[in-house]
Amino acid sequence: MITAKNLTVALSGKTIVHGVSLIAKAGELTAIVGPNGSGKTTTMKALAGELPSTGEITINGHALGALEPWQLAVKRAVLPQAATIAFPFTVREIVRMGLTVGPNRHAERIEAITAEALAAVDLSGFAGRFYQELSGGEQQRVQLARVLSQIWEPVLDGEPCFLMLDEPVSALDIRHQLTIMTLARRYCEGGGGVIAVMHDLNLTAMFADHMVMMKNGRIERAGAPAAVMTDDAMEAVFGCRMRINGVPAPGVPFVLPHTASA
Amino acid sequence: MSLNDAVRGDSARGLSLMRAVQSSSAGDRTAIARLTLAVLVVVSLVALALSIATGASDASAINVIGALFSGAEETALSVRDRIIVFDIRMPRALLGFLIGAALAMSGAVMQGLFRNPLADPGLVGISSGSALGAVLMIVLGASLPAGLMLALGAFALPLAAFIGGLLTTLLLYRIATRGGQTSVATMLLAGIAIAALAGAVTGILIYIADDKQLRDITFWSLGSLSGMTWTKLFAAGPIILLALLVVPFLSRGLNAITLGEAAAFHMGVKVQRLKYIAVVAVAGAVGASVAVSGGIGFVGIVVPHLLRIVIGPDHRYLLPASALFGGVLMLGADMLARTIVAPAELPIGIITALAGAPFFLWVLLRDRTRNGW
Repeated sequence: MITAKNLTVALSGKTIVHGVSLIAKAGELTAIVGPNGSGKTTTMKALAGELPSTGEITINGHALGALEPWQLAVKRAVLPQAATIAFPFTVREIVRMGLTVGPNRHAERIEAITAEALAAVDLSGFAGRFYQELSGGEQQRVQLARVLSQIWEPVLDGEPCFLMLDEPVSALDIRHQLTIMTLARRYCEGGGGVIAVMHDLNLTAMFADHMVMMKNGRIERAGAPAAVMTDDAMEAVFGCRMRINGVPAPGVPFVLPHTASA
Repeated sequence: MSLNDAVRGDSARGLSLMRAVQSSSAGDRTAIARLTLAVLVVVSLVALALSIATGASDASAINVIGALFSGAEETALSVRDRIIVFDIRMPRALLGFLIGAALAMSGAVMQGLFRNPLADPGLVGISSGSALGAVLMIVLGASLPAGLMLALGAFALPLAAFIGGLLTTLLLYRIATRGGQTSVATMLLAGIAIAALAGAVTGILIYIADDKQLRDITFWSLGSLSGMTWTKLFAAGPIILLALLVVPFLSRGLNAITLGEAAAFHMGVKVQRLKYIAVVAVAGAVGASVAVSGGIGFVGIVVPHLLRIVIGPDHRYLLPASALFGGVLMLGADMLARTIVAPAELPIGIITALAGAPFFLWVLLRDRTRNGW
């Protein structure tokens, strides 16, 4: 379980996150949504331990500040929003870093996990390609494979591990969006936890257990998607009048991920 | 099933088997990296031996070593040869190798740290700081207390250059670090400014220098491996060796940092500590090298770049391979410098710049077309 109590983050003297409290349970997919600049990514970075913050953050009961980077690295892994790399690494070399940089818990299974992680993000056969030559969506999935391999078991020594994903499906086509969200769902079913910053409200409604709506650095609503996704909440958070479960007027086609079959 | 189909089926099976074999190792350059390292070790030994065996004089290293082991009476000739081989060529070869290794590995470390294949100790002003220290000593050394100069002796110039490099690096680090975070962009830009400043002060010193000092400065700044002695080897060697031995321990962290400092932290790297160790190691290695050999450019950019094409950017292999290849390249350039105009010799910096500058431009132009700059 990851908890934040009265979390406040200031960057260059400007307060971005104001007293946010939230709980991300193991076995659950917690989605953070909100308009641009609402503090979603900053909140996630603070939870990951990479930004100085005031308030109290715990991960599985340990105070975040008391953990060294390598201790954190076996409890949580973080998918950044976008990553450019200046050197000609192959896909295999990138994914392998998730296993070799930190505590290196699976020295004997590096090759097997690398292959499985690539298969999980639908990139089997890409191991020999150069990262720089891939499309944005493919690069995002390579990074996810690396992140996944870092905490390959959802539960380690009785403690759940947490995937922190910053817009994990933003660059992906609809089929791969579903692939990745399903992957995150399975990680939760395996006993781990997932915190994801999301923009797609439909995917969030389909896959999230807990939905945190942020606006101006504060939490506006939080709860199960079915409970918090209301017409009023949409307008209050996104400043846009929309009807939940409203069917559009005929003429303009629409398609929802809900209707996808495997 | 026709024969054709059978053959096709077989070749399809063969193809899929081949793909399976390929895919089990695709993108894995460990084997070629290890092979390259092994080859480089052998080539390094050969280069060292050649460097000791050849030179302007006809002294034969084999004769000298033979005489040493046979315990024969020493003739006047063998004494001369012994001095040439042991006291002139050997420290020159060893120190040359170490300097090449230091410059190449420092380049690789800086490039990893700055996530920029064109970063180089010369670029962030470390070499300029060292140069300023050396020129200060050449021009103003005479006004220092005579006793101090006498005590420093041959160490005066190397020491001044080393201190200059270290101070530059510390200044750079202080400027670029705020709240415990080092900004790579600030560091690069500050490095350019510091290099310009050091260059300007050096310029003032050159302006007030007399003719003899000017000659000293010119030759020192062109870079040369001539005049290497065991004393210089003992002064600079340990610092360079220490850096060469420490830096490989940073390789996993440097790998992670190429994905970004945040990503490296997420993967369990103590980023601040890594940066600090890397910067001090580079300052030590480069300062010590520039101190004894002057400005030898481009080794730090050319060597890691070529190696990345062959073995990839994994620092676990790139760092030791850069050190070995850098050493070999330096000895090669030095042998050229010694033999082209023998019995005189060219400053080695001229040779590395003649070869390195066009290479640097080629990399720039190639990257421009690739990245669409």
